Amino acid sequence: MSKTALILGVSGQDGTYLSRLLLGKGYRVVGASRDAQMSTFANLVRMGIKEQVQTESVSATDFRSVLQVLQKVKPDEIYNLSGQSSVGLSFSQPMETYESISLGTLNLLEAIRMLELPVRFYNAGSSECFGNTNGEKATEETPFRPRSPYAVAKAAAFWQLANYREAYDLYACTGLLFNHESPLRPARFVTQKIVREACRIKSGLQEKMKLGNISVNRDWGWAPEYVEAMWLMMQQDKPKDYIIATGKTYSLEEMVETVFSFLDLDWEKYVEINSDLLRPTDIKTSLGDPTKSEKELGWKAKYSMKEVVEMMVKDCLKNVSQSDNG
Amino acid sequence: MPLKALITGVTGQDGAYLAEFLLNKGYEVHGIKRRTSLFNTDRIDHLYQGPHQEHRRFILHHGDMTDSSSLINILQKVQPDEVYNLAAQSHVAVSFEEPEYTANSDALGALRMLEAIRTMGLEKKTKYYQASTSELFGKVQESPQTEKTPFYPRSPYAVAKMYAYWITVNYREAYGMYACNGILFNHESPVRGETFVTRKITRAFSQIALGLKECVHLGNMNAKRDWGHARDYVEMQWLMLQQDKPEDFVIASGEQHSVRDFVNASAKELGVSLEWRGEGVDELGIVENVKHLDTINVDVTKNIKPGDVIVRVDSRYFRPTEVETLLGDPTKAREELGWIPKISFAELVAEMVNYDLEEARRDALCEKEGFRVNAYNE
Repeated sequence: MSKTALILGVSGQDGTYLSRLLLGKGYRVVGASRDAQMSTFANLVRMGIKEQVQTESVSATDFRSVLQVLQKVKPDEIYNLSGQSSVGLSFSQPMETYESISLGTLNLLEAIRMLELPVRFYNAGSSECFGNTNGEKATEETPFRPRSPYAVAKAAAFWQLANYREAYDLYACTGLLFNHESPLRPARFVTQKIVREACRIKSGLQEKMKLGNISVNRDWGWAPEYVEAMWLMMQQDKPKDYIIATGKTYSLEEMVETVFSFLDLDWEKYVEINSDLLRPTDIKTSLGDPTKSEKELGWKAKYSMKEVVEMMVKDCLKNVSQSDNG
Repeated sequence: MPLKALITGVTGQDGAYLAEFLLNKGYEVHGIKRRTSLFNTDRIDHLYQGPHQEHRRFILHHGDMTDSSSLINILQKVQPDEVYNLAAQSHVAVSFEEPEYTANSDALGALRMLEAIRTMGLEKKTKYYQASTSELFGKVQESPQTEKTPFYPRSPYAVAKMYAYWITVNYREAYGMYACNGILFNHESPVRGETFVTRKITRAFSQIALGLKECVHLGNMNAKRDWGHARDYVEMQWLMLQQDKPEDFVIASGEQHSVRDFVNASAKELGVSLEWRGEGVDELGIVENVKHLDTINVDVTKNIKPGDVIVRVDSRYFRPTEVETLLGDPTKAREELGWIPKISFAELVAEMVNYDLEEARRDALCEKEGFRVNAYNE
């Protein structure tokens, strides 16, 4: 019997790569989206796997909806990748951010407990929980110091899950994933914004690029290999939380420079700093220590910032030449 | 113009003490209470001022932490200088049964209030106090716990309160609000909720002394807590809002006692000494000696005899995840706020026992005269 996986947030970047990975492993993949009938699942279509993924309408904040899909699908593994995912947006939608992230996680935990399902549960945590670590590498033991409504909501979801694991003996894990990018990243995220706009500049479609704080440092990895770590966390003897990161950090300025130099452009001629794009509170440096996941899961990032950016630019150039989808 | 304070959770233990304290300081005090089918203002009835009284300084508003518009309307009307957010589903055990409601009122409630302050453009005027809790430390990472000790929440209540803590910090850092967290360790009083272990013990013993009850059933007897008196603690809540800069503070006694210690101290107040037999769920608290004390006007020896089992353990009061030990280090509050708690552990226990003894005496008298007595059972 093949295993069944239920993925909430299937239409996003991680949901799509995870679907592809699990289909390749012979899983029956059920993908949940808030409105499966209206959603175009553009990422699944783009990846050519839309027909292989069974889709269901599920709202994680609605308990009935969660309960029904669990009873219907009877998954062996649940991956909760749903929820408001933008740090910037969380400052203007703090309530929705909390509800979709923390209450969504709580509903899933409650439904699993109530149905007494022998299910394994993966919840998407975030490196944002750590806040500023003063350049130190964050480990699984590093205390949280969240710096945005998004990060606070993710921290609450992390502890909610840890408490249910301890109180009710559930197989449940949080993956503390550091930034992970791919061509499927929406343009609202800074990496994709930079890649897309630089490609447009290269093609003469745009003159300048506006950015906020480019002195921030991030640990950027490649999304398709990060979803493998999610799956690995579900295959262990004991449920534990893991950091998934490259262990290397680069400034946004270095990232911009890499993108432009790949396009044979001098970034300083095109980039303007706009203070309107600054966040009320931001993280100076984000850097993860993936030692535990390497040791226990056998997972190690193959790609870091430069390769990630290169793959994103290549993909973007292909699309810019086909149409202007800026 | 007097300063205006708005207290959420004004009908609770801390709300009542804080309202009284602020009224004595000359504040105009506004309180938010939920609509309930029964009156729940027992703790503030002595402060009540009717709507027809002139120059009222204590005013209640209907509102709810789960209703943003009620909070915004009240803020618009009151324009407070200080907001004390004491409202919450405050019971750890209940949070395992009602995790979503706990999250909604405790976590989102704090966010709604912070957002309401911003919505009304009061973020530069209104100072905000968030009632945080030692439960954040949960499975403690070091002892004693300070403002720098990492959190390890062990219940839906603690997780919700952790969200409220960090969102308060974030609004302070992101929007420059004067917002602070008081990380208060357990604080008790004669008006502590009846289902919290301290009050449960002092009430039950008083009822046993009056022959209204035979035995009390408790949960984890080994749990250790840092207990102080709520009257002392609310003064620190106010003081935190009177500093040059908003900061978070641990408020604690710095002393630790087990639940069993609290039981022994309560018994001693009644002239009873206990012997403990058995372990875990089989542990029994058996009366060893009883003597009549002049300090209380009840003849305890009538209803309590040597050999009586007056404490039993019931596993239903165990929690899915227990917090075994909490001990606060109030150094920062002592140095920066001048915090010196005035009421000792022994005095706290004595005050609670004597208050409950009077209540039990009243109940016994009513019952004797054929009146129905409110049981106030869980």
